[in-house]
Amino acid sequence: MNAAVATSVFAVFMVATVALGLYAVRGRGGQGGLAEWSVGGRSLGAVFIWVLMAGESYTSFSYLGAAGWGYNYGAPVLYVVAYMSCGYAVGYVVGPMLWAYARKHDLVGITDMVAHRYDRRWLGAAVAILATVFLLPYIQLQITGMGVVVSTISYGTISLNWGYFIAFAVTTGFVVVSGLRGSAWVSVLKDVLVIGTLGFLAVYVPLHYFDGYGPFLDRLVAEKSDWLTLPGHGGDGEGGSGLGTAWFATTSVLNALTVVIFPTTVAGYLGARNADALRRNAIWLPAYNVLLFVPMLLGMAALFVVPGLVGADSNLALFRLVVDSLPAWAVGVIGVAAALSSVVPMAVFMLVIGTMWGRSVLSLVPSLRPGRRQKAASQLVVVVAGTLALIMTYAVPNTLVRLSLISYEGMAQLLPMVLLGLLWRRLSLTAAVSGLVVGVVLVCALVFTERDPVYGINAGLLALVVNLVVTLVVAYVRPARRSGEPGGDARPDAEVLASAAV
Amino acid sequence: MRSRPHLLWLLVPFVLYIGALPFVNRVEPVIAGLPFLFVWLLGATVLTVVAAWLTWRGDRHHREAMAAAEQEYGQEHGPVDGAR
Repeated sequence: MNAAVATSVFAVFMVATVALGLYAVRGRGGQGGLAEWSVGGRSLGAVFIWVLMAGESYTSFSYLGAAGWGYNYGAPVLYVVAYMSCGYAVGYVVGPMLWAYARKHDLVGITDMVAHRYDRRWLGAAVAILATVFLLPYIQLQITGMGVVVSTISYGTISLNWGYFIAFAVTTGFVVVSGLRGSAWVSVLKDVLVIGTLGFLAVYVPLHYFDGYGPFLDRLVAEKSDWLTLPGHGGDGEGGSGLGTAWFATTSVLNALTVVIFPTTVAGYLGARNADALRRNAIWLPAYNVLLFVPMLLGMAALFVVPGLVGADSNLALFRLVVDSLPAWAVGVIGVAAALSSVVPMAVFMLVIGTMWGRSVLSLVPSLRPGRRQKAASQLVVVVAGTLALIMTYAVPNTLVRLSLISYEGMAQLLPMVLLGLLWRRLSLTAAVSGLVVGVVLVCALVFTERDPVYGINAGLLALVVNLVVTLVVAYVRPARRSGEPGGDARPDAEVLASAAV
Repeated sequence: MRSRPHLLWLLVPFVLYIGALPFVNRVEPVIAGLPFLFVWLLGATVLTVVAAWLTWRGDRHHREAMAAAEQEYGQEHGPVDGAR
């Protein structure tokens, strides 16, 4: 009975989601081509960009992983709040710069920008392939997360494997028909549900289990104080989590820089109608982070109610409380909020992969170049990428978990090539590629030999510093050839570089 | 950067979340039941919003000043070619 009620609520909302995606793009289907689908025709206003970007950053991690980290470690999970706030500050400057550059040269993503900046089509394709390797694990994480939610709220009647499949099918179908505009619309529905459910749980759980906030927090401070500061529970000493202040600081810095060139963030930037919409967003987006305190606190509340969760089960800390204390229909609604928290980011991730391949990789095949076919090819790539992530979820789940460890730190290695490259003409192709290769190899070496964090410092940041040094040295030894020289790039600076002006 | 000193406000989150970390990583004093680290990070989030707003306001004034200067220049010297 419970299962039927919760599953019905869930199914109704999933159908409504796809319908909303279709409604968002009504009458725009035929025209627009790739730019309409991938960056919403560059016409989204400040409010839509806000919900979209908040939607991307607030993934199912917030319901599952954040509560799980809260349960296992406590305070270290707040690095998410720290890096996002710092990242929005960096984005205040970088967002409008990338937006203006893309608009001026009619570009739809960072691979496109790189190809334009260095005047090499193959470089765009290479970066697209590299970025896809780093993005696929995120799609798989979202599929897993949503599958777990579906299975949990159906009280186990839907198996995990079917849950994964439902996650894949809903999201792929949704993104193929609706594109970025549809994702922004569904983000509105999702934000209402997320704010509503987390706000409700923040009040309800302490009242239900602890007679209110005062007693809950008092117990937390009295009994679980090692969860309340860095490095968190079980952080110290040999074999500890290593999540101390140095890790917190370096990870926040690295992620704050990386998030501004993360392909999905850039998709949000490029969807904006004007640069001021992005600046206004940088003001208000940090406020959304306050919500992240809720799953962390609920994860810690679960320590008292359902002690002894280990491994992947700790990610269910929040849902155990929900299923335990609320009626079936409410479980269904909270499940919808969590599922949409997977659907929206997953849709944008897939959209970005599709756009990158359509524009930068498949366009190397001459017959795929013209407008309409490029969009169809991109949509096909979305289905292929989603299917690949689904197959890997079933077949080799651990491979992708390992890859996801290097996703952010690997993507960070594109920073010198993209950002420094857009500001500094002397930075040659050789220099940019040398730095990138050294950075990616170093990240892989450190992470896969389990040396991250290395001496308490984020391995990605260390690799980025080495990457930057290599880039600068090579740029000094072999600078970009000037227009007069043989093989030099004849375009003027204004064609190649981005401007950071207001 | 030289003409946009208000961009320095954007360093506020870095100072609050990262620079101050060694000094605020503590449970006591507990404020309204919350451990001090949480209170600090909540406060930092609020102040980040304020800092970003101050930056945006600075940029708005900057744009107005630029527009006014351009107009003044235009009245004295005639329209400027290619000035956006």
